[in-house]
Amino acid sequence: MIVTKNINFYYGDFQALKNITMSMDANTVTAFIGPSGCGKSTFLRLFNRMNDLIDGTRLEGECLIKGKNIYDKSINIDALRKDIGMVFQKPNPFPKSVFENVAYGLRVNGIKDKKFIADKVEETLKAAALFEEVKDKLHKSAFELSGGQQQRLCIARALAVEPSILLMDEPASALDPISTAKIEELIHELKKKYTIVIVTHNMQQAARVSDKTGFFMLGELIEYSDTKKMFLNPDKETTQNYITGRFG
Amino acid sequence: MNKRTKQKFAFFFFRLFSIIIVGILIAILGFIAVNGIKVINWEFLSSMPKEGMTEGGIFPAIVGTCYLIIGSMIFAVPLGVMAAIYTVEYAGNGKFVRFIRMMTNNLASIPSIVFGLFGMALFVKGLNFGDSIIAGSLTLGLLALPLIIRTSEEALKAVPESYRTGSYALGATKLQTIRKVVFPCALPNILTGIILSISRVSGETAPILFTVAAYFLPSLPDSIFSQAMALPYHLYVLATSGTDIEASRPMAYGTALVLVVIVLFFNLTATLLRQKLSKNMKNK
Repeated sequence: MIVTKNINFYYGDFQALKNITMSMDANTVTAFIGPSGCGKSTFLRLFNRMNDLIDGTRLEGECLIKGKNIYDKSINIDALRKDIGMVFQKPNPFPKSVFENVAYGLRVNGIKDKKFIADKVEETLKAAALFEEVKDKLHKSAFELSGGQQQRLCIARALAVEPSILLMDEPASALDPISTAKIEELIHELKKKYTIVIVTHNMQQAARVSDKTGFFMLGELIEYSDTKKMFLNPDKETTQNYITGRFG
Repeated sequence: MNKRTKQKFAFFFFRLFSIIIVGILIAILGFIAVNGIKVINWEFLSSMPKEGMTEGGIFPAIVGTCYLIIGSMIFAVPLGVMAAIYTVEYAGNGKFVRFIRMMTNNLASIPSIVFGLFGMALFVKGLNFGDSIIAGSLTLGLLALPLIIRTSEEALKAVPESYRTGSYALGATKLQTIRKVVFPCALPNILTGIILSISRVSGETAPILFTVAAYFLPSLPDSIFSQAMALPYHLYVLATSGTDIEASRPMAYGTALVLVVIVLFFNLTATLLRQKLSKNMKNK
């Protein structure tokens, strides 16, 4: 689904990613772990070209999604971002109603059919396990929801435009344990339909939700394998040290 | 003196100075109100000046000021808001934008009489509008422009970056993001800036002096190319160059009161509007 070849990425003179080659399969959950500043979030943001928004960045190498180099000149960035949903570290609902938050992606992609939008909003809120909690306040401000609900709303918002890949950048790091558990449950559900890549600080979380795990350090991909193997029997000593909490 | 006493002492002065400031404001308003309220009645607000402006009302000046407010905003609001959107959302942070911003700040600090002179040279003479509502509106618009640009810029900058990235991540274009997320979110503060600039514009005398204001007109303006009377200039006339200054003194205070009430009304509206609209815009 996602294949990267010899990715080097620079913020100005600083090289944030060093020669990263990896591939992620469809309908799996891949977790990126590693200490702060290791480049895992930067790497994630390459896949929907969010790094384009930052001035003075430079990319070398290839990033193929469904076989197409997404950094090719012929790529339509808006269409790419529609196909690759993203959930951010801090819940960032728009200052609009719950309903309008989910409908937003549909509207900006040119859908006007009211019935279709209403159905889709309900469907995605259900898919994000949020509908029961918000069905009476669909037209209230999204800011009235709790942090955990807001994050699930952001997931619903991302799902509404029917992406094939869902990128999650530390989606539970700003949430309490109960909300975190709900998000993790949701990830299990969503993987049936979507390819999920998740960046996390929390190693237990990576162990719980992912099929494969990549360990990053100082911009390099140190190790990448099945999550089970990674946590039980990693190849590299650095990985072992990080996972057992000896640094990081 | 121990530090507790010192603190008490300091706080006493902070409080004292704050009270003095409020006191000064109340003194000014009270002075105008006490002197002005005597002449305020329906006739004063709704009729033409009579007897060499010693009697009658200030209706044409109120109407003229309203026209000038509307005219200047028609010109300054779209231009100022669009300029702000350009500099904040599109132009990045390069030399060119910094130059624009510096120029905007300089524009804001130009004395208003200079705007008046420029307005006369460009609109009255250059474009041959004559002394007219349109010339006065454009001149006042120029004056309001930097204010509107600055407040709109601040309003747009205050919109959290996460709203923009959230919108882009859903496949929205930059224009869609600005139109549907950034702008609505910044609107309360933009409106506040606009209303404050209205209150500024409605009180200015110098820019309309050479461009629109008439000493006395027997009838209301009938087109945007007519001259008009305006409250601040009317006040100046009543206080300094009427036919009988002593007799028109109470009228001057009355005019001042009306002007102050209009300005306060706009300021109050700005505050209320911002409070009401921004309540929905804040995350807990």
